[in-house]
Formats: sequence, structure tokens, C-alpha cells
Amino acid sequence: MALVEISGLLLLLLIALLAGGVWIAIALLACGWVGMQFVGGGIPAGSVLATTIWGNAASWTLAALPLFIWMGEILFRTRLSEEMFRGLAPWLNWLPGRLLHVNVLACGIFGSVSGSSAATCATVAKIALPELKKRGYDEKLSLGSLAGAGTLGILIPPSITMVVYAVAANVSIIQVFLAGFLPGLLVMALYSGYIAVWSLLHPERTPPREPAMTLVEKLRESLNLIPVMLLIALVFLSLLLGWATATECAAWGVLGSLAIAWWSGSLSWHAFWASVMGTTRITCMIMLILAGASFMSTSLAYTGIPLALASWVQGLNLSPYALIAALTVMYVILGTALDGISMIVLTTAVVIPMVKAAGFDLIWFGIFLVLVVEMAEVSPPVGFNLFVLQTMSGKDSNTVALAALPFFFLLVAAVAIITVFPDLVMLLPRMAFAD
Amino acid sequence: MLRTFLDGLYRFAGYLAGLFLIAIFLLMMGLSLGREVGINIPAGDDFASWCMAAMAFLGLAHTFRSGEMIRVGLLIDRFRGRTRRVFEILSLTLGLAFVGFFAWHAVRLTYDSWRFNDVAQGVLAVPLWIPQLGYSTGLVILFIAFVDEFVHVVRGGDPRYEKPPPASAEEVVERAIQSGV
Repeated sequence: MALVEISGLLLLLLIALLAGGVWIAIALLACGWVGMQFVGGGIPAGSVLATTIWGNAASWTLAALPLFIWMGEILFRTRLSEEMFRGLAPWLNWLPGRLLHVNVLACGIFGSVSGSSAATCATVAKIALPELKKRGYDEKLSLGSLAGAGTLGILIPPSITMVVYAVAANVSIIQVFLAGFLPGLLVMALYSGYIAVWSLLHPERTPPREPAMTLVEKLRESLNLIPVMLLIALVFLSLLLGWATATECAAWGVLGSLAIAWWSGSLSWHAFWASVMGTTRITCMIMLILAGASFMSTSLAYTGIPLALASWVQGLNLSPYALIAALTVMYVILGTALDGISMIVLTTAVVIPMVKAAGFDLIWFGIFLVLVVEMAEVSPPVGFNLFVLQTMSGKDSNTVALAALPFFFLLVAAVAIITVFPDLVMLLPRMAFAD
Repeated sequence: MLRTFLDGLYRFAGYLAGLFLIAIFLLMMGLSLGREVGINIPAGDDFASWCMAAMAFLGLAHTFRSGEMIRVGLLIDRFRGRTRRVFEILSLTLGLAFVGFFAWHAVRLTYDSWRFNDVAQGVLAVPLWIPQLGYSTGLVILFIAFVDEFVHVVRGGDPRYEKPPPASAEEVVERAIQSGV
């Protein structure tokens, strides 16, 4: 069979298995096995499977993954979000849009200690949603900004999505982390800008300023921010001072989170063990998908499909912009059915050689992927942030999805900006690794 | 009797995976702090990697039974009754075949490491079959869980790996977070 037919067959098989409700990891294993049947030379599929996956799973880099997940699990159960709201609110009163900016800023700050976007969204929404409603803010904008800003959890390092990408694409985790900072700030600026412009256009729907506080009062409220600031400092200082490697700083994060939970009195033995088991289940779920994907990539590499596809795309002579536009559309469509991690591991084997051939940096492409995963998180029917907010606000799914729509387009804008100005992504990693 | 044993087995392996998570944390703290005070954990990075593999595979059966192994529900969630059963049995059959294939070869890998006396390339020459034990055992337990579910569903039972629809708001949030993204 020709390569075109094999790839068509594998693609159809994968779609059929996924649509039929087969577990994603198992569907990947099955496609990998079928792919191996087309490889000549009698390579034994079984031992390739067992060795590849053992080699990939017993990995020092991957060991950071459960620790970052654990950190988010612990922090979600603390009073951190309440403290952040109180600490940030007094400083944002003067901006057009006032306390709505707390959503963006609190998600940004929480994003730098959490690697998950649903956890970030839920943690901040838990307190911001009722508080903003009580004060009479426009609920639609409040919901939309929370859905959008929640996705900062995976763009601002640490990030579970970035660890998965770095492993799947075989690039340095620390470089992908560093690359996420400036785009994270860019997305925050876009969100806050939108909130400000909207509020200027609709002054009648913005509640009045809160009573002014003296500077001393403001500072006293800001003391609430100390725990989270200490935690951020602990994670990044341990890294910068060379106490910890990129993998080990996750352990420092867990230590700090446990300390915060203990300090706020929410750390019982029961809660501790619940967080351990919750983390174990998420990790196992992700790891089996990664295992399936690594087998499928290996099998595809044997067939030679990714390289053939890459040279075919190269032969089309697309402009880089057209390629990125096409990939964005593809991922937005994929995002309607798949979660972010599956989306990344399913596609890297085929897409990476393609973007490499088109001259894109793989670190840059990681940030692009994180942004399209963020879009998937805020678009129906399976956007996890939408589920979270739908339940927390009691609104129906259409209302929440419509509220999030402007923020979806702001993410599209962010993709356009980093495509035109790739230096925005590459500046920090290049500064840190000047070679 | 068999029921209690199997449920206990999945839970026990899950707890063991949890302990390996704590071990990864302690090892990394030890490595990081140890470097400052000049204490070196020999082959600490190897041990962390092995803990990671043991954790990832030993917890699989527990994860499967808790309904946290993800699948795309867009289509099959619309089906009820007979049609749904057909889809569940097909999924389980495929799962049974591939988990079985995977587990078999993981066991062979471990057995070969033992037979040929393969040792780790790192600082400590640990025989590789020891860390590989978590890998193959975890997969074998997952296979047992699949057989268990297959028999249960074919006999007319309702799948136990499907979570009931969330009852409270907290549960929905909890589950979204459990999606890991």
C-alpha cells in the first residue's frame, strides 16, 4: 500500500475508534499497532511497544508532571483565592472596568503557581463570581473574563500542558516555560484592554467606585497577597538561585503549597491523602495517553508518514502565515471534540516535522499550541472552563459560551501577534540560553 | 470473596502509586537540598524516574475504575440501552486485547531484563527488572480490571467505569479539574 493510503486508513481508524468511545489511550495503541503491520522487515510490534514506553515513562523530566498537578490540587483547597481578591481589589478601583480586572490579574498570578487552566478558573471564580455579582458588575463580562483568564493557568508557567508538549516534542521544558511569560503578559493586556474599552463604552453597566481607602488601608489589605507571592518567589527563586533544576522546582512548589495549606488550617490528613490520590489518578490518565501516543509516533516514524507529509507540505510552498492559519483552524476543530492534552499528543508526531520543515522554532510552536488549547478550553461543546463556570454561576451553556466568545477572539488575536512578532516568544529563552 | 479481593487489589495498587508520588517529592527535595549541603543521593535521578514509572502504571486500574480514563463522549453519550451496550462491549473488547498485548510484552521485557541480568547505566548498577516490576505489575492489574469489567458487562451489568452524572456543583468543578488541563 502507498503511504497516502496507509495514512488515510490510520486516520479513519483513529476517528472511528475515538467516536466509538474507545478510551483515547487504547485507540492510540491500536492505531500504533495497525501502523506497525505495514512496516516491512519483521520488526516485532510488541517489544517495540514495551521498550519505547518503558524508555519514555521512566523519565526524570516527566517526574515534574505529577508534582505540578499536586501543587494545584493542594492550592485549590486553600483560601488563597479569597486572599488574592482582597489583596488586589483596592488597587484596581481606578481603572475603567474596576474590579473586573481582578479576574485577569488574579488568574495571572494564580497561573504562575498552577499548571492547570480549569483549576485556575475554578479557584478564582469561587470567590470573584459572587463578589462581583454582589457589587452589580455585568455578569456576562464577568463570566467571559473568568473563562478567558482561567486559561492563563496553562500559558503562564508552570504548566501541565507545556510539560506534556516538551516531552512529546522532545524540547527543553525550561525553555518552553520561559517562552510562556511574555505571551502570558500579552494575553493579560489584551483581556484587560478589552474590559477597559467595553466599560468606557457602557458606563451605565459599570458600578460606581468603591469608597476610597487610605494608602495604609490599601497596604494592609495587600498583606493578603503575601502567601501567594512567597510561593511564586519560592518556585522561581529556587530555580534562579540554582537550588533546583526545572524538574526539582516543582517539588519546592509542592512544599510551599503544603505550607500554605497548613498555615490556613486546611491541611488535615484526610485532605492530604485526597490530594495525593487525586493527583495519582490525573497523572495515570495522562501517562497512559502519553504512552499510547509515544507508541503511535514510533510506529508512524517507522512507516515514514510524517516525513512524507512534511515534504508534501513543503512542496505546497505555503507562506508560513498560511500554514499557521491552516493549523489554527485544524486545532480549533479538533478542540471541539478533544481535550488539550490529547490534542497535543495526537498531533505532534505528524505536525512537528511539518512545522520544522517550514522553518518554525519548536519552542515557539509550543506556545502556539498552548494558545490553541486555550481556545479549545473556552469554546463549546467540550470547553472545560465553560463547564466550570456554567456550574458555578448556574447559567445555561449558551450564555456562558457567548460570554466567552470575545475572549476566544482575543486569543486568536494573540496567535496572530506572536506569529507576526515571534521574538515576543523567543526573547526570554534566547536570553537565558544564549548560544 | 473474589469481588472483595479484586476491589482491594485495585485500591491497594492505587495507594502504592500514591506512595510513589510522595517518594518522588521527597527524592527531589533531597536532591535539591542535598546539593546545597554537599550530600549526594546516589543515582537519585534514576530513582525518581523509576518512581515515576511505577506510579504511572500501578495507579492505572484504580484510575480506570474511578472513571477517569478519558474517552470522547460526544457520540456515545447520546445512546442508551442496547446500542450503548454494543458500544461498551466493543470498547471493552478492544481494551482487553490491547491492554493484554501491552501487559504481556511488559512482562516479557521485565523477564528478559532478569534473565539477561540487565543493569542500569547510571551511578548505581541496579538490576533493571526491579524498577520494571512496577511497570509490568501495573499493566497486569489493569488487564485484570479489564477482564473483570468485560465479564461484568457481558453478563448484563452496568459499566462500573462510567461515573454517574455529577450531582452537585462542587462535583462538576472537581471533575473539570480532574481533566488535568
